[in-house]
Amino acid sequence: MKTHAKLPSTAKSSRWHGLHLEPIWWSLFSAGGVCFAVFVPAVVLVFAILAPLGFITLDYSQIVSWYADIWGLLFTGAVICLPAFHAAHRIRHGLHDLQIGGGLLSVVICYGAAALLSVAALYGWWQLSG
Amino acid sequence: MSYKPELTGSWWLKHRFFMLYMLREATVLPLVFLLCSLLAGIYSLASPEQFASWQAFMARPWVLALHGLALVAALYHAFTFFQLFPRVMPIRIGARLLPPALMVAVQWAAVLAVIVLFLWLFGNSQGAI
Repeated sequence: MKTHAKLPSTAKSSRWHGLHLEPIWWSLFSAGGVCFAVFVPAVVLVFAILAPLGFITLDYSQIVSWYADIWGLLFTGAVICLPAFHAAHRIRHGLHDLQIGGGLLSVVICYGAAALLSVAALYGWWQLSG
Repeated sequence: MSYKPELTGSWWLKHRFFMLYMLREATVLPLVFLLCSLLAGIYSLASPEQFASWQAFMARPWVLALHGLALVAALYHAFTFFQLFPRVMPIRIGARLLPPALMVAVQWAAVLAVIVLFLWLFGNSQGAI
């Protein structure tokens, strides 16, 4: 490496820098951010506000037949998994901003929780579709 | 004594800009609650009875309040996120730059389109809409 030629050999520290997963976290954060902004408002409005208030009556058998199809997988990915990793990324860095935790533990807890939530949601879809 | 500035956990309370930054970070907290509600909803699809009890849960006042907060948070997040797109990925058509305001408007149009789609798909029954 030309640019590092003058650095002493000890500059190549033996510290473990992790698995260089940051690009993955950032991509998931970014994709989740788009889904959070574009899909989540409609989902909250319909399923969490208008339906519970009685403005919309959800049809159980229709929802099951749609959800058990490929649409359920797309819904799970776009509305649950990606936003979950978006949330995990923000919570991880928000905790750092609050000077709470940090380091590998924050990474494992935040992305681990997002992964668990995603797997649980995908398993729910798989059960219904299978 | 040290001249190194010390960062405390309350630094973001000292300026409106920092508070707005932390508010944006906090938009994911009601989102996490929504995701858990939706996960419960997926599992409630196992039987009509479980789906009905999930709907009863969703109609509880405190749950409705948190989901109302989630809607506001999602829209605030969208407001901040849509401004980033023209900066991160400016689109050029020929020699001309696509106006950032237009890119923001297109993204809001997408939000509206998805809302209309969902209302069309699910708002078909005896409801008021």
